[in-house]
Amino acid sequence: MSAEKERDGEVLLEIKGLRTHFRGDEGIARAVDGVSYSVRAGETLGIVGESGCGKSVSALSIMGLVPQPPGFNAGGEILYRGEDLLQVSENRLRELRGNEISMIFQEPMTALNPVFTVGNQIGETVSLHQGLNREQAREHAVVMLDKVGIPAPEKRVDEYPHQLSGGMRQRVMIAMAMACKPGLLIADEPTTALDVTIQAQVLDLIRSLQESEGMSVLLITHDLAVIAENAHHVAVMYAGKVVEYADVMQLYRAPRHPYTIGLFRSLPDLAPRDQPLATIEGIVPSAFHFPGGCRFRTRCSLAQERCSAEEPLLEPVSSDGGHTVACHFIDETDSLRA
Amino acid sequence: MLNYIIRRLLWMIPTLFGITLLVFVSIRLAPGDPATVMMGVGSGGEMSEGSDFASRIAAFKRENGLDRNVFVQYLGFIGPFNIKPDGHELFGGSGKDPWSGLLALDLGTELQRSNVPILEELGRRLKVTLLLSFISILITYALSIPLGIFSATRQGTVLDGAVTVVLFLLFSIPTFWAGLMLILAFGQSGLGWLPVLGLESKDAANLSGLEALWDRGLHLIMPVMVYTYGSFAYLSRQMRVGMMDVIRQDYIRTARAKGLSERVVIFKHALRNSLIPVVTLFASVLPILIGGSVVVEYVFDIPGMGRYAYEGLVQRDYNIIMATTTFSAFATLIGILLSDITYALVDPRISYE
Repeated sequence: MSAEKERDGEVLLEIKGLRTHFRGDEGIARAVDGVSYSVRAGETLGIVGESGCGKSVSALSIMGLVPQPPGFNAGGEILYRGEDLLQVSENRLRELRGNEISMIFQEPMTALNPVFTVGNQIGETVSLHQGLNREQAREHAVVMLDKVGIPAPEKRVDEYPHQLSGGMRQRVMIAMAMACKPGLLIADEPTTALDVTIQAQVLDLIRSLQESEGMSVLLITHDLAVIAENAHHVAVMYAGKVVEYADVMQLYRAPRHPYTIGLFRSLPDLAPRDQPLATIEGIVPSAFHFPGGCRFRTRCSLAQERCSAEEPLLEPVSSDGGHTVACHFIDETDSLRA
Repeated sequence: MLNYIIRRLLWMIPTLFGITLLVFVSIRLAPGDPATVMMGVGSGGEMSEGSDFASRIAAFKRENGLDRNVFVQYLGFIGPFNIKPDGHELFGGSGKDPWSGLLALDLGTELQRSNVPILEELGRRLKVTLLLSFISILITYALSIPLGIFSATRQGTVLDGAVTVVLFLLFSIPTFWAGLMLILAFGQSGLGWLPVLGLESKDAANLSGLEALWDRGLHLIMPVMVYTYGSFAYLSRQMRVGMMDVIRQDYIRTARAKGLSERVVIFKHALRNSLIPVVTLFASVLPILIGGSVVVEYVFDIPGMGRYAYEGLVQRDYNIIMATTTFSAFATLIGILLSDITYALVDPRISYE
């Protein structure tokens, strides 16, 4: 753990009390509702949670890519190297996008434009941010394709996305995102749509690029195994809020929030085949109607009156203060870990 | 690609045979025939009764080969043998004029005005129609693509709503009514700004080059407006829907995530993709381009292809009907082929190798 500590350089990205809401037919959906986390230089922060918990929306908020309307910012700060991205002009945001902060998405099949060559799409980013001409941009695209491990990059650079496999396309996406050596790479479910064998390759690629380029990664996934292998710290999100934040080792050794414990318990286990898989009862509440108090109380076996009356805040549970949990009954959650 | 085009062109031959055969048989099944239309029937007077009338009809039919079995007649239409009395000996003709029909590039003469070769008349009409429809289609595309993009990028705003309502109104207005209203408003009965009939003034022959051009321009304004507004409304909506569909795609979000400006996102990444469905509409545009519009040409008294087809139909002039339908069938087939080829040009995912 001390090795991990040394990684802690300056804070690159700090999100404070971010609220991203959406106007909808049923009123206001509080997709991200008071989320705080920070990413240090060179580290990987994993964000984990079920679909609809607000993890992707928080990432899109950093990029300023939440469609407005219906989305809007209802408060908070997003500090990137001390600059509040919620306050800067659209022009400044465009300077940062693809250059300082870049993003890769879940669906490599649809995230590339079908009518332009991959070389064109990679080169476009560098010619925009670094003023390279067409030829230089193409050369840079070849270098990037080589870097992400695409064989015969000279040939592939002139191919169209449909000529590449899913894994290849995700590599192209990574090449595109890495083209300007960003400080922060946001990877939103980067391997969810890929075959298991390809998943490991792509994650290895992101990790090795992170080490060689010294960038930070915000890794969004619902897959605890992906987090375990790649993240240094983890934020667990539920219903628009962070419910637990910890060092990855701490979290896997001793998760404290009932929701996190539930997530671990629902991982399939090889041993007892005759037992049904453990699940978390109920479904994620709609972002239009989050329950008052603790939002997990409707699915929590520990829930008591206090949980509906009073919203739990993130409180440190470890001596160094690095592990925080938002639950009124932290001391009783041990009983859930069977 | 070349192989593909040749194969498609060859496939057109049986298709055209099918279409022409169907039209050929069905117009002969329709009530009325050119002889009775020409000479009148039951309208009283000396012609209505007696052997004289019957024999004149019989003579007209014999002269034009209309007394023959319908399939022999179709063979005459296809050619290359002329089946009429002065035609090929194989069909009992005198052998004076043995070759005719489609294969001999001879579409015959009009039945009423037997001195007018249809192919020549078709050429004259086509020139008129092409001028009108070419201008109209240019204007339609030039207006509806930008308007579609404009609406799509302002989806849900008051401006987009207003555009939608206006386009819907335009699309709902029948052509003949629009033509008549324009004539009432701008013709002699109204403001008197624009000429109402034809494509040039009676004294056009005496005008100098520039004056003639001005005169032609004035004559074109109203027909072009009537020609354009409906397809403009339709195409703008198509473009809006296509653009809105593309804007929702993941790769547009990717383009924005790169830091591209909204202008580049729309005009580089979205435009080309949203043009793909609009390109297919080209297949329906070409036949209109060549076939002309019956209503517009009729209302504004323009001697184009559309009117020719209409006149042929009214007169039951089988030769005109066959010529105009074959021609627009051919144009449709070429239009479909062209749009398929354009598809492959704009979308790298489509290839005909």
